[in-house]
Amino acid sequence: MAILETKHVTKNFGGLTALQDVSFALEKGEVMGLIGPNGAGKTTLINILSGAFHPSEGKVIYQGEDISRLKANLVNERGIARTFQVVRIFKRLTVLENVLTAMVDRGKDGPWRLVWGSFFRRACAFNQDRDACATADGLLASVGLLDYRDERAENLPYAMSKRLEIARALATRPKVLLLDEPSSGLNPAEQNEQIKIIRQINEQGISILIIEHVMKVIMDISHRLIVLHYGEKIAEGEPEAVYNDPLVVEAYLGGEGNA
Amino acid sequence: MAAKQKIWAGLGLVACLALPLIITDRYIQHLLVMSLIFVIFSSSWNLITGYSGQLNMGHAAFFGIGAYASALLALKLGVSPWIGMFLGGLLAAAAGFLLGIPALRLSGPYLAITTIGFAEILRLVAMNWVDLTRGSLGLYGIPPLPGFWGIRFTSELTFYYVALAAAAWALFCFRRITRSEFGLSLQAMREDEIGAESIGIGTNRYKLTVFTISAFFGGFAGALLAHYQRLISPDMLSLGETFQALTMTMIGGLGTLTGPVIGAVLLTFLSEGLRFVEDAVKMDVRLIIYGGLLIVTILFMRGGIMGLWERWRGRSAGDGEEA
Ligand SMILES: Nc1ncnc2c1ncn2[C@@H]1O[C@H](COP(=O)(O)OP(=O)(O)OP(=O)(O)O)[C@@H](O)[C@H]1O
Ligand SMILES: [Mg+2]
Repeated sequence: MAILETKHVTKNFGGLTALQDVSFALEKGEVMGLIGPNGAGKTTLINILSGAFHPSEGKVIYQGEDISRLKANLVNERGIARTFQVVRIFKRLTVLENVLTAMVDRGKDGPWRLVWGSFFRRACAFNQDRDACATADGLLASVGLLDYRDERAENLPYAMSKRLEIARALATRPKVLLLDEPSSGLNPAEQNEQIKIIRQINEQGISILIIEHVMKVIMDISHRLIVLHYGEKIAEGEPEAVYNDPLVVEAYLGGEGNA
Repeated sequence: MAAKQKIWAGLGLVACLALPLIITDRYIQHLLVMSLIFVIFSSSWNLITGYSGQLNMGHAAFFGIGAYASALLALKLGVSPWIGMFLGGLLAAAAGFLLGIPALRLSGPYLAITTIGFAEILRLVAMNWVDLTRGSLGLYGIPPLPGFWGIRFTSELTFYYVALAAAAWALFCFRRITRSEFGLSLQAMREDEIGAESIGIGTNRYKLTVFTISAFFGGFAGALLAHYQRLISPDMLSLGETFQALTMTMIGGLGTLTGPVIGAVLLTFLSEGLRFVEDAVKMDVRLIIYGGLLIVTILFMRGGIMGLWERWRGRSAGDGEEA
């Protein structure tokens, strides 16, 4: 059963068409790899799925609901979390606070309830709330960040900041996780670690869409692959089959030839 | 740790309560009152700009709205200043909500210019609506806070305790708010707006909320000043007042609770000290000194005095505030 799908999604930026009539479905519980040469529209697709952009044409359907026009925060509230190609962690907050902020139950009535509530708690600071911290510590441990708990996020080594983004996304209790190049810039040992973490997340039942340039990672972890080229979907299916698809080979070789 | 903190807080409170009894010089007492009012004013600016990253350069608007509203309510309608101060704060909060609306679309220098414009328009209204505000003459003869139990709030000494209670209450609120889920969300928004939205923070509503809260306390501080000085003028709405809050906060430590407190006390006393120099050289040296201090802060001690303190203690954790 599809948990998240796009139907004929097109995205134009002025004259440039970043996505052209893209339809695909992410099945519940699967890891789907999203590949394609530079500028193919991969990040744009994640931006559209997560509500950061809205499609020019077509629809995004999540569990039967049309979420094409929802803002990013509401999409996240529905159960879709993401990471970014260029990390967007909260630099001057601690690692723990990064995760805690994502855990907040924001409800329907918005920030005023949180303001009001701040006057009626026993622990006077949210980052000292025992239950919340215990949950956050668990999440940090699951991505191997517990040792950095009280470090400011800006002081993290690069690989750790990528993991923090994953932990932060998980803290919103998503059903779908969208990962934009989670292992770019990592050394091979760190990449292996990253694969392990992503696999564990998937084993908890979270469906994953992952963009990756590192072929070893993507072949290792995906159940299925889709390929974008100049904004169009040119292949979809089993990783092995897609990898040997002549169209895909040409897209990659052609892309390099032009560069 | 917590017990030690409580002891320090207790000692601090006793010191604050005893201070004007030890220092009986009325002029120094006056400076203490002004410091406390600016503690509230700068801290409220810090909430918008230091914690949530919205460059608000029109904070003087709230200061002035609170002052004029409470003063006029007392002068024209006979509303008790005790109530008027809160009404002034609420009116400023309403203005804060309105000013928050452009902040949904603008940021950085664009927001700064818009907010300056907002305050400047209000200053011109106060200058030109002579029937109501007496224009540049300002309002005088503003009623003092009504006394009770035989205490009158017309002396520096008695008003000091009112201002102390007000500042303590405001700081208590700021402490609660900034350390709550809401406060963390504000800081997340300051660090990365797109990142914040990706984890479910609806930044629009958070911005409107923080503008409203911050404006309330800015207006409240203005009303307090009105009933203390009993004389206000459109200067309260000028960019100079916002700049005062900015300088105090930056020097003390932007985005920390203690920063604006230290900065407000320090600069209130410093600028009075400079008044003697001004009289000697017949020149407005205050703004020059403020500007100089600000540049030194930005170049050599980002994070202000609190930043230096944190580094000296060799701590890297925390959001820069005294835990
Ligand atoms: N906000 C935007 N405004 C205008 N053009 C954009 C915007 N975002 C992306 N584009 C353009 O859309 C096209 C697809 O970009 P996208 O970032 O989705 O590619 P990508 O597949 O993620 O590439 P990479 O592998 O380099 O990350 C590019 O030509 C890019 O310049
Ligand atoms: Mg990309």
